[in-house]
Amino acid sequence: MVPYEYYVALSGLLMVLGLIGVAIRRNIIALLISTELMLNAVNIAFVAFDMKLGDVGGQVFVFFILTIAAAEASVGLGLIMAIYRLRKDVDTETLTELKH
Amino acid sequence: MELTGTAFWVFSSLAVLSAFGVVFFRNIVYAVLSLISTLIMVSGLFFTMGAELIGALQILIYAVAIVVFYVLVISTVPEFKGKAFQTKYMVISIPVGMLIFVELAIVSLFGAWKSNTGVFTPDVVKEVGNVKAVATMLFTKYLFPFEVASLILLVAMIGSIVIGRKEHVIDEEAEG
Repeated sequence: MVPYEYYVALSGLLMVLGLIGVAIRRNIIALLISTELMLNAVNIAFVAFDMKLGDVGGQVFVFFILTIAAAEASVGLGLIMAIYRLRKDVDTETLTELKH
Repeated sequence: MELTGTAFWVFSSLAVLSAFGVVFFRNIVYAVLSLISTLIMVSGLFFTMGAELIGALQILIYAVAIVVFYVLVISTVPEFKGKAFQTKYMVISIPVGMLIFVELAIVSLFGAWKSNTGVFTPDVVKEVGNVKAVATMLFTKYLFPFEVASLILLVAMIGSIVIGRKEHVIDEEAEG
């Protein structure tokens, strides 16, 4: 049996990769995809601690995270479609109306 | 026992490799395909941990339903012309991110976590099965959050329809 610590460390690596993706990408769709990566890292950590604690509450929370991820993807992609229709652009560098 | 270890190393290395692809592929279509690969590998990791229900739901909801959203939107929005990365943030975020990972790894390897406080010990799970255990918790202790989750899905569906519809554009054309 693989010790649960390896799963938690893997979850940390995926989380950091998602964070780097959110920081460095310029396409809004790529930002959302990196967010999905981070949500998956959290799911792995939940299930790994379940394995250690002998509980199933974390798996129930993974179920809720799946629901929230579906809602987030639908609303986020709807927003991207609206932004594209207004601006004809999905580059984060040019979306700076709120900055000025 | 040995098979679980091999499966863990194969699934985790492929998941990390595809996650690097998600972050560092310039073409967004390749990034989404890498995301599918990552999600399927994470589902395999769930199976190695004995969480069969979540592994199956991961493939059904994430790798099929959510990724189809992304593919549809990418096919609607034309090809991204600008630079894929912000190099000034790349210089900062990659070392800082690796630092955070080292910290998380140290904490997860040497942290003093609790163990075996729940009622679903491996013997109990072996007897009733993972699916029945999770479903029992879902429909007894977490029944109210489960119902609220359905409400959230309804609100998200209505909201995305309202945000994404094209009516105001048609109005502008009619006025102009």
